[in-house]
Amino acid sequence: MKKLGWGIGAVFAMTSALIGCGDDRTVVVSRIAEDGSTRVVALDNSFRAETMSVPAGTEVLFTNVGRNVHDVVPSGGSSDWGVEQGQFSPGASYRVTFTEPGLYPYYCSIHGNETAGMVGMIEVTS
Amino acid sequence: MRRIGAALGVLLLLAACGADPDDAVVRDTRTPRPATSAGTEPTESTEADPQPDEATDSTDMGSGPLLVPEQFPTIQQAVDAAVPGDLILISPGTYHEAVNVTTDELTIRGLSRADVILDGEFELDNGIRVLGANGVAIENMTAMNFTKNGFFWTGVEGYRGSYLTAYRTGDYGVYAFDSSKGLLEHSYAAGSPDAGFYIGECYTCDAVIDDVISEHNGLGYSGTNSGGNLLIVNSTFRFNRAGIVPNSGSYELCYPERETTIVGNLVYSNNQADTPAIDVAILAMGNGILSAGGVRNLIERNRVWDHDKTGIGLVPFLEENPADDQPPQSEWGRSCAESKSDAPPDPATVPEVVLWDSHDNEVRGNALSDNREGDLAVASAGTDISTLGNCFADNDFTRSRPSAVESLAPCGDPVSGDWSADSLDVATWLVEAASRPPSVNFQTAKLPPIPELDEMPNAADAPADPATNMPPSVDLAAIEVPAKP
Repeated sequence: MKKLGWGIGAVFAMTSALIGCGDDRTVVVSRIAEDGSTRVVALDNSFRAETMSVPAGTEVLFTNVGRNVHDVVPSGGSSDWGVEQGQFSPGASYRVTFTEPGLYPYYCSIHGNETAGMVGMIEVTS
Repeated sequence: MRRIGAALGVLLLLAACGADPDDAVVRDTRTPRPATSAGTEPTESTEADPQPDEATDSTDMGSGPLLVPEQFPTIQQAVDAAVPGDLILISPGTYHEAVNVTTDELTIRGLSRADVILDGEFELDNGIRVLGANGVAIENMTAMNFTKNGFFWTGVEGYRGSYLTAYRTGDYGVYAFDSSKGLLEHSYAAGSPDAGFYIGECYTCDAVIDDVISEHNGLGYSGTNSGGNLLIVNSTFRFNRAGIVPNSGSYELCYPERETTIVGNLVYSNNQADTPAIDVAILAMGNGILSAGGVRNLIERNRVWDHDKTGIGLVPFLEENPADDQPPQSEWGRSCAESKSDAPPDPATVPEVVLWDSHDNEVRGNALSDNREGDLAVASAGTDISTLGNCFADNDFTRSRPSAVESLAPCGDPVSGDWSADSLDVATWLVEAASRPPSVNFQTAKLPPIPELDEMPNAADAPADPATNMPPSVDLAAIEVPAKP
């Protein structure tokens, strides 16, 4: 992997800092789950992986690695988990532990609804 | 694959922003309850027959169009009552609605482009948002003052936007995402911080942008990770921060951007400093057509003039904290559908910064003038640009970067010569971006009044025309370099 010099790297980073501050989009690096199986990333505008299966008791980490604001809204009107737009801007993360087996469909209300667009599903197994 | 060793940069970045990483992590202590128990099928719901609004029960619906507000007080009520194939006709008026469409093959038409106005009053998000509904056509109306987008299709096959005006919107004007088989035509967009027109995350897109005007936006056109029979033709991109800017990036699926065809457009004076603008628009400011990490694009027979930077530039896109590394060239032909099933990459394999170079683009027969850093340019930030496979032929230009680029990289012949003469150092753009005018709030940005624009012919009488056979074929060979206005 070819590396560019420190000069360009620093220039790029400083530039990004100057134009990127205020929207949190540049603080993602330290917030990546070590266990890839429990990690969902919010891209623009999709969840990856869109569907996943985890055992009960698993903590799932949602990270917004896109450049847009997103949210995570449980389908069906549930209000016992999820994260709002104001807390899920680019670079932000959200952790939640699923203890009860079942299906947990969710979506981003900005870029989808319960059935289309930016949707996801977590299956929690016993 | 290229990685910038930017550990120092990241430290500077965090220090400069004053960000504490823990501040942005929300830990939920509630106990989630499932929507359904594991192993059981979700309950199927039966959709009731569409019913008109209670207040309109006495109206004879017949088989004609659904009329707003005569039969349905709101556009949303008409949309919710419609079935595939229906035509919704909207009378002149101002509608304070954010309309969601989930029914296939509707035609939603205003009876007056100028006087059917959806006004979000800076409170509502999208004028009309089409969610997974295939074949929806939206025609002849204006959307303004929405916090997100004027017109937005996502996750659809078949879409059309005709005679649309999007004005002063907080994200995009006219926006097609993760959608294919589309046409955006005879439309206008102004006052978005991102792009007036955007087609992204599709391969193959099978889409056409034809006869649109995009001005006073951050970007006239943006298309991240889109391409494959994607045509941008016969249109005008002016007075934006930057004109036409397709780019690659792992923050959306389906990377890289590839195979966009840009033919017969007027692209001029994209140096506008008083627009709303996302960071990329600030960085790209002063460029006419800029392939930022784009691959196999064809840029042909456009007229491009009056830019502070380049007329047509093939440059890298530097992506900091990417979501993934670049795919190998052998995977550039993968469809979006295939990439959607990929699991998130192992974070340990993702570099801190990815440099998406512009590869294998073809720049032919364009007329360029008064582009102050070069009418034509190709550059990188560490890669030998003679290896990137871009080519230039038959362009009418004065200065290229590097010099004599048509001799260095003629289309169809091997590259040769000295690539260092008058080469373009794009790293300087990064420095300059820091001192450029910042974004202006989209709600208050100075915009020209909406110009007089063509109305859809026979809007009252034309039958429903859902977007089922999109896109139309375009005779690219018949398109000439357009004359200056």
